Amino acid sequence: MEEDEFFGEKTFQHHCSEFIKHSQQIGDGWEWRSSKEVLEVPLDDAEATETAAASEVIKYEYHVLYSSSYQVPVLYFRASFLDGRPLALKDIWEGVHECYQTRLQQGPWDTITQQEHPILGQPFFVLHPCKTNEFMAPVLKNSQKINRNINYITSWLSIVGPVVGLNLPLSYAIATSQDESNAL
Amino acid sequence: MTDDKDVLRDVWFGRIPTCFTLYQDEITEREAEPYYLLLPRVSYLTLVTDKVKKHFQKVMRQEDISEIWFEYEGTPLKWHYPIGLLFDLLASSSALPWNITVHFKSFPEKDLLHCPSKDAIEAHFMSCVKEADALKHKSQVINEMQKKDHKQLWMGLQNDRFDQFWAINRKLMEYPAEENGFRYIPFRIYQTTTERPFIQKLFRPVAADGQPHTLGDLLKEVCPSAIAPEDGERRNQVMIHGIEPMLETPLQWLSEHLSYPDNFLHISIIPKQTE
Repeated sequence: MEEDEFFGEKTFQHHCSEFIKHSQQIGDGWEWRSSKEVLEVPLDDAEATETAAASEVIKYEYHVLYSSSYQVPVLYFRASFLDGRPLALKDIWEGVHECYQTRLQQGPWDTITQQEHPILGQPFFVLHPCKTNEFMAPVLKNSQKINRNINYITSWLSIVGPVVGLNLPLSYAIATSQDESNAL
Repeated sequence: MTDDKDVLRDVWFGRIPTCFTLYQDEITEREAEPYYLLLPRVSYLTLVTDKVKKHFQKVMRQEDISEIWFEYEGTPLKWHYPIGLLFDLLASSSALPWNITVHFKSFPEKDLLHCPSKDAIEAHFMSCVKEADALKHKSQVINEMQKKDHKQLWMGLQNDRFDQFWAINRKLMEYPAEENGFRYIPFRIYQTTTERPFIQKLFRPVAADGQPHTLGDLLKEVCPSAIAPEDGERRNQVMIHGIEPMLETPLQWLSEHLSYPDNFLHISIIPKQTE
């Protein structure tokens, strides 16, 4: 195992399992899945139903995967109407809040693109991972400075999730800081 | 005596003779003749098939045309995979020319990524190049390059300009003098028999004891079924760019010479042909 990894796969798995524990407590649907053939790049997914227009219900599916190339988690997602029709990229864009749209349009690497899911082989939408370290580093540094326990997955998902309609309940963050006070 | 640089040219200029036929259920105003084309192994389907599209659209009505997609023996072809990879993986055991069917309707949303423009191909290509450099150099080399250098890589590929491409790509193939190779080797291993589209893992070109890793070492570690059984008749072929490199080949050398323009080694594991 690599010692010099900033956020290695084992660390990813650990933070995910803490995240899942809380998810099970509040029943919001995240699951941990291992790839059947080879034990690597695990994924979780959650389904959230949101109403777009008056009569159209859209189902969102979110998967958190680990990128060994960038050593960060990556958010894959797709959306479809209840009859199975998938949403196109332009429909997804319309769902992104205005305040995020400008930011995303600035850099080609920060944008939402369609990619092949590395385990399922199907088209998903992805937020490009290469800037993740840039925005996560200050979060991690600050947490060390004030000696506060954080869960990388919770912090990361609370930053990238809202861009694509995924809002984490506050209870995730509360749970993590409670773990810390229990440990003291 | 073949120079290593000749290998780079041979890889770049590899071609596959292909016959494009319009899907029989497409609505045409006249009979559609098949269209023949030599496809560059290192490029992408939607980048090199403008002439194919024009040829078939000539006999169709505008309203019957939507996004073009390609299929081989019932399998939709992923445009975001290099052409040579698709051929080696799906059609290398069949006789030439490669027979591809062209579709203009019923886009298979669950199987294929959309390709709305050439910009989408460029974005995908550059994304792969970036990821390869993240593995090789922690992104240092690609991030130090100017935007115009990135553009030159893409233009070199798009316009089939070997020298233009390699003027920049050679920098992505360098490594610090004190090292023995890249940090990790960018590779993907494909098999049609598995659910998962490909295997990709962290793998170093040199072992802890300083011995260079070989292609065989890589396969043994991440895909042992590819070279099974070790004693006796092998069940599979290991193919890159239409050839079977010796398993003793150093991985670092393979990465420098047999990578695709996206800087990845795309390796196909296919069942051995029985004569």
